Amino acid sequence: MEPLIRTVDLKKYFRVYGGMLHAVDGVDVVINQGQTLGVVGESGCGKSTLGRLVLRLLEPTGGQIFFEGKDIMAYDRKDMKQVRQQMQIIFQDPFSSLNPRMPVFDLIAEPLVMNRIYKTKAELTTKIYELMEMVGLADRYINTFPHEMDGGRRQRVGVARALALNPKFIVCDEPVSALDVSIQAQILNLLMDLQDELDLTYMFITHDLSVVKHISDEIGVMYLGQCVERANSKELFANPLHPYTKALLSAIPVPRLRKDVRHQIIRGELSDPIEPEPGCRFANRCDFCQEGCTGTNIPLKDQGNGHWVSCTLYQ
Amino acid sequence: MAELTQTQELRENQDVLLEINNLTVVYKSDEEIVHAVNGISFQVGVKETIGLVGETGAGKTTTALSIMRLLPERTGFIEGGEILYNGMDLVTKPQNEMRMIRGSLISMIFQDPMTSLNPIMTVGDQIYESLEIHNTDNKTRQQLDERVNELLTLVGIQPRRKKEFPHQFSGGMKQRIVIAIALACEPQLLIADEPTTALDVTIQAQVLDLMRELKEKLDTSMIMITHDLGVVAETCDKVAIMYAGEIVERGSVEDIFEGKQHHPYTEGLFGAIPNLEEETDRLSPIDGLMPNPTDLPSGCKFHPRCKYCMDICREQVPPVYLEDGHMIACHLVVKED
Amino acid sequence: MSKQADVQTATNIKRPKRKSQAKEIWRRMKKNRIAMVGLAIISIILLCTILADVIVSYDYSLEQNMDLRYAAPSGDHWFGCDNYGRDIFARVIHGTRNSLIMGIGAVVVGILLGGFFGSITGYFGGKLDTVIMRIMDVFNTIPFMLLALAIASALGPSLTNVLIALMISMVPYYTRVIRASILNVVGQDFIEAGKACGTPTRFIILKHVLPNAIGPVIVHATMSVGTMILSASAMSFLGMGIQPPAPEWGSMLNEGKDYMLYAPHLVIFPGLAIVLTALSVNLMGDGLRDALDPRLKD
Repeated sequence: MEPLIRTVDLKKYFRVYGGMLHAVDGVDVVINQGQTLGVVGESGCGKSTLGRLVLRLLEPTGGQIFFEGKDIMAYDRKDMKQVRQQMQIIFQDPFSSLNPRMPVFDLIAEPLVMNRIYKTKAELTTKIYELMEMVGLADRYINTFPHEMDGGRRQRVGVARALALNPKFIVCDEPVSALDVSIQAQILNLLMDLQDELDLTYMFITHDLSVVKHISDEIGVMYLGQCVERANSKELFANPLHPYTKALLSAIPVPRLRKDVRHQIIRGELSDPIEPEPGCRFANRCDFCQEGCTGTNIPLKDQGNGHWVSCTLYQ
Repeated sequence: MAELTQTQELRENQDVLLEINNLTVVYKSDEEIVHAVNGISFQVGVKETIGLVGETGAGKTTTALSIMRLLPERTGFIEGGEILYNGMDLVTKPQNEMRMIRGSLISMIFQDPMTSLNPIMTVGDQIYESLEIHNTDNKTRQQLDERVNELLTLVGIQPRRKKEFPHQFSGGMKQRIVIAIALACEPQLLIADEPTTALDVTIQAQVLDLMRELKEKLDTSMIMITHDLGVVAETCDKVAIMYAGEIVERGSVEDIFEGKQHHPYTEGLFGAIPNLEEETDRLSPIDGLMPNPTDLPSGCKFHPRCKYCMDICREQVPPVYLEDGHMIACHLVVKED
Repeated sequence: MSKQADVQTATNIKRPKRKSQAKEIWRRMKKNRIAMVGLAIISIILLCTILADVIVSYDYSLEQNMDLRYAAPSGDHWFGCDNYGRDIFARVIHGTRNSLIMGIGAVVVGILLGGFFGSITGYFGGKLDTVIMRIMDVFNTIPFMLLALAIASALGPSLTNVLIALMISMVPYYTRVIRASILNVVGQDFIEAGKACGTPTRFIILKHVLPNAIGPVIVHATMSVGTMILSASAMSFLGMGIQPPAPEWGSMLNEGKDYMLYAPHLVIFPGLAIVLTALSVNLMGDGLRDALDPRLKD
């Protein structure tokens, strides 16, 4: 079966002081209909850029994007507008992703009005109430401005906007990281319920590993613009292979008493991938760095079970 | 096991550094009064770390600012209660005396390392400055310089980098420098307000590791403000769970993480985090939202969101149930007794 | 009414009536007393403009009476008379029109043109931005007065030409102000959110960018109304603007300044008129900026 979304060697370089920043460097994304791909990584790893590239909100430097088997890189503006109705995005910060001067009605109406979905005002109003109910937003909020609502309700408005055009695919860019834990759980449950109800496909971008495990079918771990490991969610947590993934998993503080906690600390910090040398980008922080880690790029290799990793330890 | 007895001991033979009794803080503006902290009490023992846990608006940061007496002057007021630091009441202290206490006896680390450093001063100068302000025993310039080097080494930064400016350091490094500044005068109490929230997980692990190490080395007491129960489990000896300006549950880490009885809010918090070790199909979020601090509910402040809510909860403020240092403020727990 | 009822029966769903945007703004504005004072003064001044001929005839403002030169304010001549024995009250009232047209007109056109260039440069950036902004820089290097004078003298002295001169000198300034304000807004997520749901660029600029960028612009605008009235009067004084004996506040000030010491009412009344206008526009502008922002608590 053709996956709903597939990218081949997707690249985005930005020109910065000092050369080209390889924000996303040759990433292949494959997501099947109704599935969730979790994309994990730390700040600066290119995960948000990747999310925008997949939707062509940013123009890729290279590579191809297939939506339902069709190469959308070849689409012109008009075709793109059509296909974008099927691909939506939920933003991280519900405080800056909603226009502060528009009430809820106008905010949810925007995608519907701009794509001329409904002819009469009554139809539009009905649809907006329907969407509000779907995301669990009480009717009385219809004339409320974003600043009058809390983060959770704002994010519900963000979800309603994304759902307005009946999309098949939604990129969730850290949709819960700006929210309090109890609200976070409400939104995560909402997203999962909607997925079941509407057969949605998600690309879920986050830095929070516990959230990503909870919601994803498959997980890709990104480091400095590249995907270093990709596996089924359970498999990845049970059997992480790449040294970076291992360190990342061990770094999460677990809300349980463990008297002997010792994190596997990785040295140093992320640097920007400006004009990177070929080879593993994690090499300079890696305890297992060996000959062959630098110099040539290390491809993702299947370890069986759909578990792919790019590391010389497993070639 | 050794650690357990140590906390036990402390509980009985309280060597108390900071004692907060019935602290009440409000923010007043022309139109409304925000009840930020409503009569909280807790103690911090010498060499002890207490975690203040809660969501946005629970009153954690207000509590910290009250201890530092850094509440916004025109709007924030301590309405009642006392903050006893080694027996002296900080609430009644005049600001000029507080200025000497801040930084030397009590220091604070803020959430965002990017904004708590001065971008046009070298990091060495910034550490030096805080030493110089509290230089009561007339140390020479050279001695102070040596102390700067010592501090940088302590937090894992090479002293030769002290001539560099904050933007030349990464986020984690900056937070290390902030910690170095906070520790400059060897304070007895360190208040850390979400010190790792702005950092990535791997960097967070580094900083938490550093803080644990420093705690062992320096005998500093610490108040750790966070919303992350994982961070609490790794760093704290005692925990106070805050909700709507009140402490709803307080106890040792063992009480909170392994105790039999809990406040429903604590239960809710644990249920809301996706668990890495277990498979859960659905999270169980706490219904509803934080109450409006200008108009708090009657009785138990948590009752509108509580799944065990009873009639009595709506009317009466819950009594405090205390057993062996584990405090829970809930009608349910008392009833079961 | 009946039409709305139809819709309701047809679908049974209707959005609850929200106070219209304008009403809402008016309600917030009303709460700001100082702004209302400003609005009241402005309204009176505008009324004077409209009803000038009813209050006192235009001819009366030009009528010279040598017996009454420098006459102090009295029951017959409320504001006294000037150096030609003309009634100052009549001249102030009839000067309102000319002064207001210059002050407010120049600013409004400045904002419209500046808003156009500013939006384009701020939103799109790139080469277009560079080209337009460098042209604006060139205009900026010429001193404001000199530029206005050059334009007025090239086109010949008249009210319209002074207006054109003032407008042109205002455009680079507003382009810069509006561009800066727009750059602040463009970085925010809701712009991208708009793009993501297929909103065309022109709507993004009109519905998302401009409403959020307008605040600082209003403040700048109200502050420059007073300056513009004064600049216009300076031009009149230099003989480039309104030609005497037509009444205009600025030129009245200039004519009166020589006699300031022994007949201060020659400058006090036109001066007061300018101050009142500028002040009330400022007050109203401040209030308007706050009223336009739904985020501010009311």
